[in-house]
Amino acid sequence: MSRDTGRPLPFTAAARAVFTLSLEGMVWTRRSLVMSVLLGLPVLFAVLYRLTLAAKLPPSLSPVDLYGSIVAIYYVRNAVPLAALFYATALIADEVEQKTITHLFTRPLTRASILFGKFAAYAATTVSLTLPALAISFLLLTSTRGMEGVRAALGQLPRDMGVVTLGFLAYGALFTLLGVALRRPVIPGLLFLFLWELLVNMPGDLPRLTITAWLRSLLLHRPVEDGLLARIFTPGVLPAGESLAVLVLVTGACLALAAVAFARREYVLEQ
Amino acid sequence: MSACIELVRASRWYGPVIALNDVTAAIGPGVTGLLGPNGAGKSTFLKLVAGQLAPSQGEVRLLGRPAWGSPEVFHRVGVCPETDAFWEGLTGWQFLLALLRLTGFDEAECRRRAEAALIQVDLLPAKDRRIAGYSKGMRQRVKLAQALAHDPEVLLLDEPVSGMDPVNRRRTVDLVKRLGREGRTIVVSSHILHEVEAMTRRVLLVHNGRILAEGDVREIRDLIDEHPHTVAVRARDPRCVARAAVATPSVVSVSFGAEGEWVTIQSGRPDELYAALQDVAIEAGVGEMYSPDENLESVFRYLVER
Repeated sequence: MSRDTGRPLPFTAAARAVFTLSLEGMVWTRRSLVMSVLLGLPVLFAVLYRLTLAAKLPPSLSPVDLYGSIVAIYYVRNAVPLAALFYATALIADEVEQKTITHLFTRPLTRASILFGKFAAYAATTVSLTLPALAISFLLLTSTRGMEGVRAALGQLPRDMGVVTLGFLAYGALFTLLGVALRRPVIPGLLFLFLWELLVNMPGDLPRLTITAWLRSLLLHRPVEDGLLARIFTPGVLPAGESLAVLVLVTGACLALAAVAFARREYVLEQ
Repeated sequence: MSACIELVRASRWYGPVIALNDVTAAIGPGVTGLLGPNGAGKSTFLKLVAGQLAPSQGEVRLLGRPAWGSPEVFHRVGVCPETDAFWEGLTGWQFLLALLRLTGFDEAECRRRAEAALIQVDLLPAKDRRIAGYSKGMRQRVKLAQALAHDPEVLLLDEPVSGMDPVNRRRTVDLVKRLGREGRTIVVSSHILHEVEAMTRRVLLVHNGRILAEGDVREIRDLIDEHPHTVAVRARDPRCVARAAVATPSVVSVSFGAEGEWVTIQSGRPDELYAALQDVAIEAGVGEMYSPDENLESVFRYLVER
Protein backbone atom coordinates (compact mmCIF):
# COMPACT_ATOMS: atom_id res chain seq x y z
CA MET A 1 0.00 0.00 0.00
CA SER A 2 1.53 3.34 -1.01
CA ARG A 3 0.98 5.99 1.61
CA ASP A 4 -0.01 9.54 0.78
CA THR A 5 1.34 11.27 3.86
CA GLY A 6 -0.29 14.56 2.90
CA ARG A 7 -3.79 13.22 3.59
CA PRO A 8 -5.53 11.13 6.23
CA LEU A 9 -5.85 7.43 5.37
CA PRO A 10 -8.55 6.71 2.78
CA PHE A 11 -11.90 6.32 4.49
CA THR A 12 -12.53 2.64 3.77
CA ALA A 13 -8.99 1.52 4.62
CA ALA A 14 -9.11 3.50 7.86
CA ALA A 15 -12.56 2.25 8.83
CA ARG A 16 -11.49 -1.33 8.07
CA ALA A 17 -8.41 -1.02 10.29
CA VAL A 18 -10.52 0.43 13.13
CA PHE A 19 -13.11 -2.32 12.57
CA THR A 20 -10.47 -5.05 12.88
CA LEU A 21 -9.04 -3.52 16.03
CA SER A 22 -12.44 -2.95 17.63
CA LEU A 23 -14.08 -6.25 16.75
CA GLU A 24 -12.01 -8.47 19.02
CA GLY A 25 -12.19 -5.98 21.85
CA MET A 26 -15.94 -5.86 21.48
CA VAL A 27 -16.57 -9.61 21.31
CA TRP A 28 -14.55 -10.63 24.35
CA THR A 29 -16.11 -8.34 26.92
CA ARG A 30 -18.41 -8.74 29.90
CA ARG A 31 -20.97 -6.68 27.98
CA SER A 32 -20.98 -9.23 25.15
CA LEU A 33 -21.37 -12.06 27.63
CA VAL A 34 -24.49 -10.42 29.10
CA MET A 35 -25.78 -9.53 25.64
CA SER A 36 -25.25 -13.05 24.34
CA VAL A 37 -27.52 -14.27 27.15
CA LEU A 38 -30.11 -11.59 26.36
CA LEU A 39 -29.98 -12.22 22.61
CA GLY A 40 -29.76 -16.00 22.94
CA LEU A 41 -32.64 -16.40 25.39
CA PRO A 42 -35.19 -17.32 22.67
CA VAL A 43 -33.28 -20.56 22.13
CA LEU A 44 -34.16 -21.44 25.72
CA PHE A 45 -37.82 -20.49 25.09
CA ALA A 46 -37.85 -22.79 22.09
CA VAL A 47 -36.24 -25.66 23.99
CA LEU A 48 -38.77 -25.26 26.83
CA TYR A 49 -41.58 -25.24 24.28
CA ARG A 50 -40.30 -28.48 22.76
CA LEU A 51 -40.06 -30.01 26.23
CA THR A 52 -43.66 -28.94 26.88
CA LEU A 53 -44.72 -30.70 23.71
CA ALA A 54 -42.69 -33.77 24.59
CA ALA A 55 -44.40 -33.87 27.99
CA LYS A 56 -47.71 -33.76 26.12
CA LEU A 57 -48.82 -30.59 27.90
CA PRO A 58 -51.21 -28.49 25.85
CA PRO A 59 -49.40 -25.38 24.53
CA SER A 60 -51.27 -22.08 24.52
CA LEU A 61 -49.54 -20.92 21.34
CA SER A 62 -48.75 -22.67 18.12
CA PRO A 63 -45.01 -23.02 17.44
CA VAL A 64 -45.20 -20.62 14.49
CA ASP A 65 -47.04 -18.04 16.59
CA LEU A 66 -44.46 -18.39 19.35
CA TYR A 67 -41.71 -17.85 16.79
CA GLY A 68 -43.56 -14.77 15.49
CA SER A 69 -43.79 -13.38 19.03
CA ILE A 70 -40.11 -14.02 19.60
CA VAL A 71 -39.23 -12.02 16.51
CA ALA A 72 -41.74 -9.20 16.84
CA ILE A 73 -42.03 -8.74 20.58
CA TYR A 74 -38.86 -10.16 22.07
CA TYR A 75 -36.30 -9.12 19.48
CA VAL A 76 -37.69 -6.14 17.57
CA ARG A 77 -39.46 -4.44 20.46
CA ASN A 78 -37.08 -5.22 23.33
CA ALA A 79 -33.80 -7.10 22.93
CA VAL A 80 -32.54 -5.40 19.76
CA PRO A 81 -33.09 -1.82 20.98
CA LEU A 82 -31.67 -2.65 24.41
CA ALA A 83 -28.57 -4.32 23.01
CA ALA A 84 -28.16 -1.40 20.59
CA LEU A 85 -28.46 1.04 23.49
CA PHE A 86 -25.80 -0.62 25.60
CA TYR A 87 -23.36 -1.23 22.76
CA ALA A 88 -23.74 1.86 20.62
CA THR A 89 -23.74 4.49 23.36
CA ALA A 90 -20.45 2.96 24.55
CA LEU A 91 -18.71 2.86 21.16
CA ILE A 92 -16.71 6.02 21.80
CA ALA A 93 -17.41 6.35 25.54
CA ASP A 94 -15.47 3.15 26.30
CA GLU A 95 -12.40 4.44 24.48
CA VAL A 96 -12.67 7.73 26.33
CA GLU A 97 -13.17 6.06 29.69
CA GLN A 98 -10.17 3.78 29.15
CA LYS A 99 -8.26 6.73 27.66
CA THR A 100 -7.32 4.62 24.63
CA ILE A 101 -8.98 7.21 22.40
CA THR A 102 -5.63 9.04 22.39
CA HIS A 103 -4.10 6.19 20.38
CA LEU A 104 -6.82 6.55 17.75
CA PHE A 105 -6.64 10.34 17.65
CA THR A 106 -2.88 10.33 17.11
CA ARG A 107 -3.09 8.33 13.89
CA PRO A 108 -3.79 9.76 10.43
CA LEU A 109 -7.48 8.89 10.63
CA THR A 110 -10.46 11.12 10.16
CA ARG A 111 -12.80 10.93 13.09
CA ALA A 112 -15.60 9.84 10.75
CA SER A 113 -13.59 6.77 9.75
CA ILE A 114 -13.00 5.92 13.43
CA LEU A 115 -16.71 6.19 14.13
CA PHE A 116 -17.77 4.13 11.11
CA GLY A 117 -15.16 1.46 11.83
CA LYS A 118 -16.42 1.12 15.37
CA PHE A 119 -20.05 1.14 14.23
CA ALA A 120 -19.30 -1.65 11.77
CA ALA A 121 -17.71 -3.67 14.59
CA TYR A 122 -20.82 -3.09 16.72
CA ALA A 123 -23.10 -4.21 13.89
CA ALA A 124 -21.01 -7.33 13.22
CA THR A 125 -20.95 -8.24 16.91
CA THR A 126 -24.64 -7.81 17.60
CA VAL A 127 -25.77 -9.45 14.38
CA SER A 128 -23.46 -12.41 14.89
CA LEU A 129 -24.77 -12.85 18.44
CA THR A 130 -28.41 -12.63 17.35
CA LEU A 131 -28.91 -14.26 13.98
CA PRO A 132 -27.68 -17.75 14.97
CA ALA A 133 -29.99 -17.69 18.01
CA LEU A 134 -32.86 -16.56 15.81
CA ALA A 135 -32.17 -19.34 13.29
CA ILE A 136 -31.92 -22.00 16.00
CA SER A 137 -35.20 -20.84 17.58
CA PHE A 138 -36.82 -20.93 14.15
CA LEU A 139 -35.62 -24.48 13.50
CA LEU A 140 -36.59 -25.74 16.96
CA LEU A 141 -40.10 -24.30 16.70
CA THR A 142 -40.97 -24.93 13.06
CA SER A 143 -39.61 -28.47 13.09
CA THR A 144 -42.32 -29.57 15.53
CA ARG A 145 -44.23 -30.49 12.39
CA GLY A 146 -41.21 -32.09 10.80
CA MET A 147 -39.29 -30.84 7.83
CA GLU A 148 -42.51 -29.90 6.13
CA GLY A 149 -43.14 -27.31 8.83
CA VAL A 150 -39.64 -25.93 8.41
CA ARG A 151 -40.04 -25.70 4.65
CA ALA A 152 -43.44 -24.01 4.94
CA ALA A 153 -42.10 -21.24 7.17
CA LEU A 154 -38.61 -20.98 5.69
CA GLY A 155 -39.48 -17.90 3.62
CA GLN A 156 -39.96 -15.90 6.83
CA LEU A 157 -36.49 -16.48 8.22
CA PRO A 158 -34.42 -14.30 5.84
CA ARG A 159 -36.97 -11.53 6.16
CA ASP A 160 -36.87 -11.71 9.96
CA MET A 161 -33.09 -11.72 9.92
CA GLY A 162 -33.13 -8.69 7.66
CA VAL A 163 -35.54 -6.82 9.95
CA VAL A 164 -33.48 -7.63 13.04
CA THR A 165 -30.33 -6.45 11.25
CA LEU A 166 -32.09 -3.26 10.20
CA GLY A 167 -33.19 -2.79 13.80
CA PHE A 168 -29.59 -3.03 15.00
CA LEU A 169 -28.51 -0.53 12.34
CA ALA A 170 -31.25 2.03 12.95
CA TYR A 171 -31.26 1.90 16.74
CA GLY A 172 -27.47 1.59 16.76
CA ALA A 173 -27.04 4.71 14.65
CA LEU A 174 -29.44 6.66 16.86
CA PHE A 175 -27.69 5.56 20.05
CA THR A 176 -24.27 6.20 18.53
CA LEU A 177 -25.44 9.77 17.96
CA LEU A 178 -26.65 10.01 21.57
CA GLY A 179 -23.38 8.51 22.79
CA VAL A 180 -21.32 11.07 20.93
CA ALA A 181 -23.53 14.07 21.66
CA LEU A 182 -24.38 13.47 25.32
CA ARG A 183 -22.22 12.91 28.35
CA ARG A 184 -24.68 10.43 29.90
CA PRO A 185 -26.67 8.88 27.06
CA VAL A 186 -28.10 5.74 28.68
CA ILE A 187 -30.99 7.36 30.59
CA PRO A 188 -32.17 9.41 27.58
CA GLY A 189 -31.84 6.22 25.53
CA LEU A 190 -33.99 4.24 27.96
CA LEU A 191 -36.57 7.05 27.99
CA PHE A 192 -36.62 6.95 24.20
CA LEU A 193 -37.14 3.19 24.17
CA PHE A 194 -39.74 2.88 26.89
CA LEU A 195 -41.62 6.16 26.60
CA TRP A 196 -41.18 7.65 23.16
CA GLU A 197 -41.46 4.34 21.37
CA LEU A 198 -44.89 3.80 22.99
CA LEU A 199 -46.19 6.24 20.39
CA VAL A 200 -46.31 3.17 18.19
CA ASN A 201 -49.63 2.33 19.89
CA MET A 202 -51.14 5.76 19.26
CA PRO A 203 -53.65 6.43 16.52
CA GLY A 204 -53.02 8.48 13.41
CA ASP A 205 -49.58 9.31 12.16
CA LEU A 206 -47.86 9.31 15.56
CA PRO A 207 -46.42 5.78 15.13
CA ARG A 208 -44.43 7.16 12.20
CA LEU A 209 -42.33 9.03 14.74
CA THR A 210 -41.03 5.75 16.16
CA ILE A 211 -38.47 3.33 14.80
CA THR A 212 -40.37 0.31 16.00
CA ALA A 213 -43.43 1.07 13.83
CA TRP A 214 -41.32 1.00 10.68
CA LEU A 215 -39.55 -2.16 11.74
CA ARG A 216 -42.78 -3.99 12.59
CA SER A 217 -44.27 -3.01 9.28
CA LEU A 218 -41.59 -5.04 7.57
CA LEU A 219 -42.50 -8.18 9.50
CA LEU A 220 -45.07 -10.65 8.29
CA HIS A 221 -45.94 -11.83 11.81
CA ARG A 222 -49.34 -10.54 12.91
CA PRO A 223 -51.37 -10.66 16.16
CA VAL A 224 -51.85 -14.10 17.53
CA GLU A 225 -54.78 -13.61 19.88
CA ASP A 226 -56.71 -11.04 21.88
CA GLY A 227 -55.24 -9.57 25.03
CA LEU A 228 -52.63 -7.09 26.11
CA LEU A 229 -49.86 -8.40 23.87
CA ALA A 230 -52.16 -8.34 20.92
CA ARG A 231 -53.22 -4.77 21.61
CA ILE A 232 -49.60 -3.67 21.88
CA PHE A 233 -48.98 -5.55 18.74
CA THR A 234 -51.62 -4.03 16.50
CA PRO A 235 -50.43 -0.72 15.12
CA GLY A 236 -51.31 0.12 11.57
CA VAL A 237 -49.04 -1.45 9.00
CA LEU A 238 -46.97 1.07 7.07
CA PRO A 239 -45.95 0.42 3.46
CA ALA A 240 -42.93 -1.91 3.29
CA GLY A 241 -41.00 0.14 0.73
CA GLU A 242 -41.50 3.30 2.72
CA SER A 243 -40.48 1.50 5.92
CA LEU A 244 -37.27 0.30 4.38
CA ALA A 245 -36.47 3.77 3.03
CA VAL A 246 -37.20 5.44 6.36
CA LEU A 247 -35.03 3.00 8.30
CA VAL A 248 -32.12 3.42 5.91
CA LEU A 249 -32.58 7.18 6.07
CA VAL A 250 -32.69 7.21 9.89
CA THR A 251 -29.51 5.10 9.99
CA GLY A 252 -27.69 7.30 7.50
CA ALA A 253 -28.81 10.59 9.02
CA CYS A 254 -27.97 9.57 12.59
CA LEU A 255 -24.55 8.28 11.57
CA ALA A 256 -23.79 11.42 9.58
CA LEU A 257 -24.81 13.64 12.51
CA ALA A 258 -22.80 11.47 14.89
CA ALA A 259 -19.74 11.82 12.65
CA VAL A 260 -20.11 15.62 12.61
CA ALA A 261 -20.55 15.78 16.39
CA PHE A 262 -17.61 13.43 16.96
CA ALA A 263 -15.33 15.45 14.67
CA ARG A 264 -16.10 18.65 16.55
CA ARG A 265 -16.01 17.35 20.08
CA GLU A 266 -12.99 17.63 22.33
CA TYR A 267 -12.27 14.87 24.77
CA VAL A 268 -10.51 16.17 27.86
CA LEU A 269 -9.18 13.04 29.51
CA GLU A 270 -8.91 13.24 33.26
CA GLN A 271 -5.47 12.39 34.57
CA MET B 1 15.96 27.04 12.58
CA SER B 2 12.75 26.00 10.80
CA ALA B 3 10.05 25.44 13.39
CA CYS B 4 7.92 22.30 13.07
CA ILE B 5 5.90 23.38 16.09
CA GLU B 6 4.57 26.89 16.53
CA LEU B 7 2.36 28.40 19.17
CA VAL B 8 1.26 31.97 18.68
CA ARG B 9 -0.38 33.59 21.71
CA ALA B 10 -2.03 30.26 22.44
CA SER B 11 -4.22 29.94 25.49
CA ARG B 12 -6.31 27.12 26.75
CA TRP B 13 -8.71 27.07 29.64
CA TYR B 14 -10.93 24.40 31.15
CA GLY B 15 -14.00 26.26 32.34
CA PRO B 16 -12.68 28.97 34.64
CA VAL B 17 -9.22 27.37 34.99
CA ILE B 18 -6.45 28.66 32.74
CA ALA B 19 -4.15 25.79 31.86
CA LEU B 20 -2.02 27.61 29.31
CA ASN B 21 -1.88 31.36 29.12
CA ASP B 22 -0.83 33.38 26.07
CA VAL B 23 2.06 31.12 25.07
CA THR B 24 4.22 31.90 22.06
CA ALA B 25 6.94 29.42 21.15
CA ALA B 26 8.65 27.96 18.09
CA ILE B 27 10.31 24.55 18.29
CA GLY B 28 12.60 23.18 15.61
CA PRO B 29 14.74 20.07 15.09
CA GLY B 30 16.57 18.54 18.04
CA VAL B 31 15.38 17.71 21.53
CA THR B 32 13.54 20.36 23.51
CA GLY B 33 12.69 19.78 27.13
CA LEU B 34 9.40 20.99 28.48
CA LEU B 35 10.10 21.40 32.12
CA GLY B 36 7.74 22.33 34.90
CA PRO B 37 6.15 21.03 38.08
CA ASN B 38 2.96 18.97 37.98
CA GLY B 39 0.00 21.14 36.99
CA ALA B 40 2.25 23.70 35.27
CA GLY B 41 0.57 23.19 31.89
CA LYS B 42 3.05 20.80 30.23
CA SER B 43 0.48 18.19 29.31
CA THR B 44 -1.93 20.83 28.01
CA PHE B 45 0.92 22.25 25.92
CA LEU B 46 1.58 18.81 24.42
CA LYS B 47 -2.11 18.05 23.91
CA LEU B 48 -2.54 21.30 22.03
CA VAL B 49 0.47 20.51 19.86
CA ALA B 50 -0.77 16.95 19.31
CA GLY B 51 -4.18 18.24 18.23
CA GLN B 52 -5.97 16.57 21.13
CA LEU B 53 -7.33 19.90 22.28
CA ALA B 54 -8.20 23.06 20.40
CA PRO B 55 -6.72 26.31 21.65
CA SER B 56 -9.27 28.55 23.35
CA GLN B 57 -7.41 31.47 21.85
CA GLY B 58 -4.43 31.93 19.56
CA GLU B 59 -2.92 29.48 17.14
CA VAL B 60 -1.08 26.17 17.35
CA ARG B 61 0.58 24.79 14.23
CA LEU B 62 2.24 21.45 13.69
CA LEU B 63 4.28 20.85 10.52
CA GLY B 64 2.76 24.00 9.06
CA ARG B 65 -0.87 22.98 9.65
CA PRO B 66 -3.32 23.78 12.40
CA ALA B 67 -2.72 21.13 15.03
CA TRP B 68 -6.44 20.75 15.77
CA GLY B 69 -8.32 18.93 13.02
CA SER B 70 -5.36 17.86 10.85
CA PRO B 71 -5.10 14.09 11.31
CA GLU B 72 -2.86 13.79 8.24
CA VAL B 73 0.09 15.15 10.26
CA PHE B 74 0.17 11.91 12.23
CA HIS B 75 1.87 10.18 9.31
CA ARG B 76 4.85 12.27 10.42
CA VAL B 77 4.24 12.71 14.13
CA GLY B 78 4.60 10.21 16.97
CA VAL B 79 2.96 10.76 20.32
CA CYS B 80 3.81 9.03 23.58
CA PRO B 81 0.98 10.18 25.88
CA GLU B 82 1.29 10.41 29.62
CA THR B 83 -1.82 8.33 30.23
CA ASP B 84 -1.16 4.67 30.97
CA ALA B 85 -3.88 3.44 28.63
CA PHE B 86 -3.91 0.34 26.45
CA TRP B 87 -6.27 -2.21 25.00
CA GLU B 88 -5.22 -4.52 27.78
CA GLY B 89 -6.19 -7.76 26.07
CA LEU B 90 -3.65 -7.23 23.30
CA THR B 91 -0.06 -8.39 23.42
CA GLY B 92 2.68 -5.83 22.85
CA TRP B 93 3.10 -7.20 19.33
CA GLN B 94 -0.63 -6.97 18.52
CA PHE B 95 -0.77 -3.45 19.94
CA LEU B 96 2.02 -2.24 17.68
CA LEU B 97 0.63 -4.05 14.63
CA ALA B 98 -2.80 -2.51 15.22
CA LEU B 99 -1.44 1.01 15.48
CA LEU B 100 0.80 0.56 12.43
CA ARG B 101 -2.21 -0.66 10.44
CA LEU B 102 -4.00 2.48 11.55
CA THR B 103 -1.09 4.45 10.10
CA GLY B 104 -1.59 2.87 6.69
CA PHE B 105 1.22 0.36 6.33
CA ASP B 106 0.71 -2.97 4.64
CA GLU B 107 0.95 -6.17 6.67
CA ALA B 108 4.58 -7.00 5.86
CA GLU B 109 5.68 -3.45 6.62
CA CYS B 110 3.69 -3.46 9.87
CA ARG B 111 5.52 -6.58 10.99
CA ARG B 112 8.92 -5.23 10.03
CA ARG B 113 8.34 -1.94 11.79
CA ALA B 114 6.77 -3.50 14.87
CA GLU B 115 9.77 -5.76 15.31
CA ALA B 116 12.23 -2.89 14.80
CA ALA B 117 10.40 -0.70 17.31
CA LEU B 118 10.27 -3.47 19.93
CA ILE B 119 13.99 -4.05 19.47
CA GLN B 120 14.60 -0.32 19.96
CA VAL B 121 12.91 -0.39 23.36
CA ASP B 122 14.27 -3.83 24.26
CA LEU B 123 10.86 -5.44 24.47
CA LEU B 124 11.07 -8.06 21.74
CA PRO B 125 11.35 -11.03 24.15
CA ALA B 126 8.08 -9.97 25.82
CA LYS B 127 6.22 -9.21 22.60
CA ASP B 128 3.76 -12.10 22.93
CA ARG B 129 2.76 -11.30 26.50
CA ARG B 130 -0.46 -9.43 27.14
CA ILE B 131 0.06 -5.78 27.99
CA ALA B 132 -2.12 -6.33 31.07
CA GLY B 133 0.75 -8.42 32.45
CA TYR B 134 3.47 -5.87 31.70
CA SER B 135 5.26 -3.98 34.48
CA LYS B 136 4.97 -0.19 34.63
CA GLY B 137 8.33 0.19 32.88
CA MET B 138 7.39 -2.26 30.11
CA ARG B 139 4.11 -0.44 29.54
CA GLN B 140 6.02 2.79 29.26
CA ARG B 141 8.39 1.20 26.74
CA VAL B 142 5.65 -0.26 24.55
CA LYS B 143 4.02 3.18 24.54
CA LEU B 144 7.29 4.65 23.38
CA ALA B 145 7.63 1.93 20.73
CA GLN B 146 4.26 2.83 19.18
CA ALA B 147 5.36 6.46 18.97
CA LEU B 148 8.57 5.50 17.16
CA ALA B 149 7.36 2.66 14.97
CA HIS B 150 6.26 4.73 11.98
CA ASP B 151 9.56 6.65 11.97
CA PRO B 152 8.09 10.10 12.59
CA GLU B 153 9.81 13.45 12.02
CA VAL B 154 8.23 14.92 15.13
CA LEU B 155 8.01 13.17 18.49
CA LEU B 156 5.93 14.39 21.39
CA LEU B 157 6.91 12.51 24.53
CA ASP B 158 5.01 13.16 27.74
CA GLU B 159 7.04 11.94 30.73
CA PRO B 160 8.57 9.11 28.65
CA VAL B 161 10.85 7.57 31.27
CA SER B 162 8.39 7.72 34.15
CA GLY B 163 8.30 4.35 35.93
CA MET B 164 11.27 2.86 34.06
CA ASP B 165 14.09 1.09 35.86
CA PRO B 166 17.53 2.76 35.72
CA VAL B 167 18.86 0.62 32.87
CA ASN B 168 15.91 1.30 30.58
CA ARG B 169 15.82 4.93 31.68
CA ARG B 170 19.42 5.24 30.48
CA ARG B 171 18.62 3.44 27.21
CA THR B 172 15.62 5.64 26.56
CA VAL B 173 17.59 8.80 27.24
CA ASP B 174 20.26 7.63 24.79
CA LEU B 175 17.60 6.76 22.21
CA VAL B 176 15.95 10.18 22.47
CA LYS B 177 19.33 11.91 22.17
CA ARG B 178 20.19 9.85 19.10
CA LEU B 179 16.84 10.58 17.45
CA GLY B 180 17.37 14.27 18.18
CA ARG B 181 20.81 14.18 16.60
CA GLU B 182 19.26 12.59 13.49
CA GLY B 183 17.36 15.85 13.02
CA ARG B 184 13.95 14.96 14.36
CA THR B 185 11.97 17.49 16.31
CA ILE B 186 11.41 16.06 19.77
CA VAL B 187 9.58 17.61 22.68
CA VAL B 188 10.03 15.82 25.99
CA SER B 189 8.03 16.90 28.98
CA SER B 190 9.12 16.19 32.50
CA HIS B 191 8.92 17.58 35.99
CA ILE B 192 12.43 16.28 36.67
CA LEU B 193 15.26 18.55 35.67
CA HIS B 194 17.80 15.78 35.75
CA GLU B 195 15.80 13.73 33.24
CA VAL B 196 15.50 16.59 30.80
CA GLU B 197 19.10 17.60 31.28
CA ALA B 198 20.22 14.09 30.35
CA MET B 199 18.50 14.46 26.97
CA THR B 200 19.01 18.08 26.01
CA ARG B 201 20.27 21.48 27.04
CA ARG B 202 17.41 23.33 25.36
CA VAL B 203 14.45 23.79 27.67
CA LEU B 204 11.17 25.62 27.93
CA LEU B 205 10.28 26.27 31.53
CA VAL B 206 6.55 26.16 32.12
CA HIS B 207 4.93 27.42 35.26
CA ASN B 208 1.32 28.35 35.97
CA GLY B 209 0.47 28.00 32.29
CA ARG B 210 3.13 30.38 31.07
CA ILE B 211 6.54 29.97 29.49
CA LEU B 212 8.69 31.29 32.29
CA ALA B 213 12.03 30.96 30.53
CA GLU B 214 13.50 29.47 27.40
CA GLY B 215 17.11 28.52 26.87
CA ASP B 216 20.00 26.55 28.31
CA VAL B 217 19.32 24.07 31.05
CA ARG B 218 22.68 24.78 32.80
CA GLU B 219 21.42 27.96 34.37
CA ILE B 220 18.58 26.05 35.95
CA ARG B 221 20.98 23.34 36.95
CA ASP B 222 23.01 25.81 38.97
CA LEU B 223 19.89 26.68 40.87
CA ILE B 224 18.77 23.13 41.39
CA ASP B 225 22.11 22.15 42.89
CA GLU B 226 21.11 24.26 45.85
CA HIS B 227 18.10 21.99 46.41
CA PRO B 228 18.53 18.27 47.15
CA HIS B 229 17.02 16.03 44.49
CA THR B 230 14.59 13.40 45.81
CA VAL B 231 14.29 9.94 44.25
CA ALA B 232 11.92 7.19 45.37
CA VAL B 233 13.03 3.66 44.42
CA ARG B 234 11.08 0.41 44.64
CA ALA B 235 13.36 -2.62 44.83
CA ARG B 236 13.26 -6.26 45.84
CA ASP B 237 16.20 -5.55 48.14
CA PRO B 238 15.78 -1.97 49.36
CA ARG B 239 18.72 -2.31 51.78
CA CYS B 240 21.07 -2.95 48.85
CA VAL B 241 19.81 0.27 47.23
CA ALA B 242 20.29 2.14 50.52
CA ARG B 243 23.87 0.83 50.87
CA ALA B 244 24.73 2.04 47.37
CA ALA B 245 23.14 5.42 48.10
CA VAL B 246 24.93 5.90 51.41
CA ALA B 247 28.25 5.15 49.69
CA THR B 248 27.62 8.09 47.33
CA PRO B 249 29.14 11.31 48.75
CA SER B 250 26.39 13.64 47.50
CA VAL B 251 23.56 11.75 49.21
CA VAL B 252 21.99 13.82 51.96
CA SER B 253 19.45 11.37 53.39
CA VAL B 254 18.04 7.86 52.95
CA SER B 255 14.73 6.68 54.37
CA PHE B 256 12.67 3.49 54.04
CA GLY B 257 9.00 3.60 53.03
CA ALA B 258 6.27 2.08 55.18
CA GLU B 259 5.49 -0.62 52.58
CA GLY B 260 8.97 -2.08 52.84
CA GLU B 261 9.95 -2.07 49.16
CA TRP B 262 10.48 1.67 48.79
CA VAL B 263 13.55 3.75 49.63
CA THR B 264 13.57 7.53 49.38
CA ILE B 265 16.93 9.16 48.74
CA GLN B 266 17.91 12.84 48.70
CA SER B 267 21.02 13.86 46.78
CA GLY B 268 22.73 17.09 45.83
CA ARG B 269 24.14 15.45 42.68
CA PRO B 270 21.44 13.51 40.82
CA ASP B 271 23.92 12.35 38.15
CA GLU B 272 26.06 10.64 40.73
CA LEU B 273 23.06 9.06 42.43
CA TYR B 274 21.55 7.69 39.20
CA ALA B 275 24.93 6.21 38.22
CA ALA B 276 25.16 4.47 41.60
CA LEU B 277 21.60 3.16 41.27
CA GLN B 278 22.30 1.86 37.81
CA ASP B 279 25.27 -0.12 39.16
CA VAL B 280 23.11 -1.99 41.69
CA ALA B 281 19.87 -2.10 39.67
CA ILE B 282 20.02 -5.79 38.82
CA GLU B 283 21.46 -6.98 42.14
CA ALA B 284 18.84 -5.06 44.14
CA GLY B 285 16.00 -5.86 41.76
CA VAL B 286 15.09 -2.23 41.13
CA GLY B 287 11.62 -2.25 39.60
CA GLU B 288 10.46 1.33 39.56
CA MET B 289 11.67 4.79 40.45
CA TYR B 290 10.26 8.27 40.32
CA SER B 291 11.18 11.70 41.48
CA PRO B 292 8.73 13.90 43.34
CA ASP B 293 8.97 17.46 42.11
CA GLU B 294 9.21 19.40 45.33
CA ASN B 295 12.76 20.43 44.54
CA LEU B 296 11.79 21.74 41.11
CA GLU B 297 8.85 23.52 42.65
CA SER B 298 11.22 25.35 44.95
CA VAL B 299 13.40 26.35 42.01
CA PHE B 300 10.33 27.71 40.22
CA ARG B 301 9.33 29.65 43.30
CA TYR B 302 12.82 31.08 43.33
CA LEU B 303 12.63 31.99 39.62
CA VAL B 304 9.23 33.60 39.95
CA GLU B 305 10.31 35.67 42.91
CA ARG B 306 13.62 36.66 41.32
